[in-house]
Amino acid sequence: MAVYSLYILNKAGGLIYQSDNDRHPGVNKLTANDYLVLAGTLHGVHAITSRFTTSMIHSHDPNTTNIPASRLSGPNTNKSGLQSIETDHFNLYVFQTLTGIKFIVVTSPIPTTNLGRGELNVQLELANQLFKDLYVLYSDYVMKDPFYSIDMPIKNPHFDSKIKQLIN
Amino acid sequence: MSSYYFTIIGTNDTPLYELEFASFKLGGSGASQVPGKSQFSNNVKEILPFVTHSSIDLIEDVQWNNNQFYLGKVDSFYGLSVNAFVTQGNIKFIICYDNGNGRYDENAIRQFFMETNELYVKELMDPFYSVNDALTSPDFDLRIKLLAKKYL
Amino acid sequence: MPEDNIILPVSASMSKMTIQDSNKSQFGYNPSIGASSNEITPTTSSILLNKTVSLNPGVSKSINKKAFEVSLSSLSFLFCEIVNWSHKKSKGIQDLENRLNGLGYQIGQKFLELSKTREGLKYSKREIKIVEILQFIHSTLWKGLFGKIANELEKSQDVNNEYMIIDNCPLVSKFVNVPKDYGDLNCAAFIAGIIEGALDSAGFFADVTAHTMPKEGSPLRTVFLIKFDDSVISKEEQTVQS
Repeated sequence: MAVYSLYILNKAGGLIYQSDNDRHPGVNKLTANDYLVLAGTLHGVHAITSRFTTSMIHSHDPNTTNIPASRLSGPNTNKSGLQSIETDHFNLYVFQTLTGIKFIVVTSPIPTTNLGRGELNVQLELANQLFKDLYVLYSDYVMKDPFYSIDMPIKNPHFDSKIKQLIN
Repeated sequence: MSSYYFTIIGTNDTPLYELEFASFKLGGSGASQVPGKSQFSNNVKEILPFVTHSSIDLIEDVQWNNNQFYLGKVDSFYGLSVNAFVTQGNIKFIICYDNGNGRYDENAIRQFFMETNELYVKELMDPFYSVNDALTSPDFDLRIKLLAKKYL
Repeated sequence: MPEDNIILPVSASMSKMTIQDSNKSQFGYNPSIGASSNEITPTTSSILLNKTVSLNPGVSKSINKKAFEVSLSSLSFLFCEIVNWSHKKSKGIQDLENRLNGLGYQIGQKFLELSKTREGLKYSKREIKIVEILQFIHSTLWKGLFGKIANELEKSQDVNNEYMIIDNCPLVSKFVNVPKDYGDLNCAAFIAGIIEGALDSAGFFADVTAHTMPKEGSPLRTVFLIKFDDSVISKEEQTVQS
């Protein structure tokens, strides 16, 4: 799975960080304004879809559900909203932290040659692992920086270089 | 029975702590006195701070040539001897004592200083204490006296 | 600012006692009275002989306990708040650096004594030479504070009284990113303060400043420039002669 792009959204849906894979661009670059619109749209879609399903999630009795416990706890609080979009040309995954920060990655699609149930899960696992690593980098290099104020754009070369290492 | 006058001197030559005491070890005749109470005469008591203070210059002459913590005997004044110890942070421990019946143990003084240094460092770890403040903690006073009893 | 109205006693004034202050516990030195404040009385003498008093158990713990580890995360968050707090109060970049330096200074004073005592006074020596105290800071002190020794210790080629301690990645500023408009601010000024405090209290008066000098592979590499007072240099020359 190749990562094409990464977006970080604050809890209001504003784009605070964006990074592209330089070696495998995969998707076309948009204008700066279009990225903001994309971020806002995804945020909105996520919010509305979570209203779709929120009653179902909450009516679930944790004892009878067959969702594994590790999925219920874990750092990803994106339980009820838009989780992924799969297309022929790219896949998109959404991860949400406890404080409402969203990490969105655009990755390569699942190869059509061996499309199967297993492959889908593998890709999801990979995406989850990637989100975990991103979350760690965010907590380390952004949250522990005394000069960063919350919800503001992230302009941090250390963070940048670590992200590039991870997604390239 | 020897009497002792112990002082801790800060980096700007002010006393941070003083203690007058006598050896707790029973020394022959003087059984009627309070054990540990210093036997300095009033005349001597008055000059003890001065003797201590004047030894600071001598210590400062020695401390840059001698890389030991314990400097041994640095001065003497009419039957009073002055031994000193300098910490890495330039805090001076000075002890003046009368060498009454000639019994004094160099090693005991060294041990006393070593353990005092440890107590001082513990006191230094107190967030409400900063370098060169007077050492007013009752616990510190009690522990120094216990050390005095143990070693001197 | 309302928070400035609350005046806490500075630590020095807490120990300021007057002649009227009596010690309730029978023990304790009062600097306003002098040696007679804690002289040995019949009561205290019997307490000492019979040990009928309880000691503060915290102080009884051994000082030589090997340093245990602290989570880097909590340290970083604490340092983050330290910088933020100093930043809020400071008037400029230089002022911020000075404040960080000042906070480190007291740590340096205290930690120097602690690490020397931990080394064991019986076998170690008091550092009385410039190079020796620098080596002590570079190795023992650094190890106690950051769990590793500093990367380099150098003497300036051009200036007689300048030395440099170099760390490739100062622990406290590992996650700190200084924005461009803050010029050459380096938050390791805090560590510079620690070095300065340690040197000053050991009698080697110096000014210590932190400068970022990135190298290939270590972008946070920091040089701690130590500028000794002229009196320190001349004292050292005198003792060498005599």
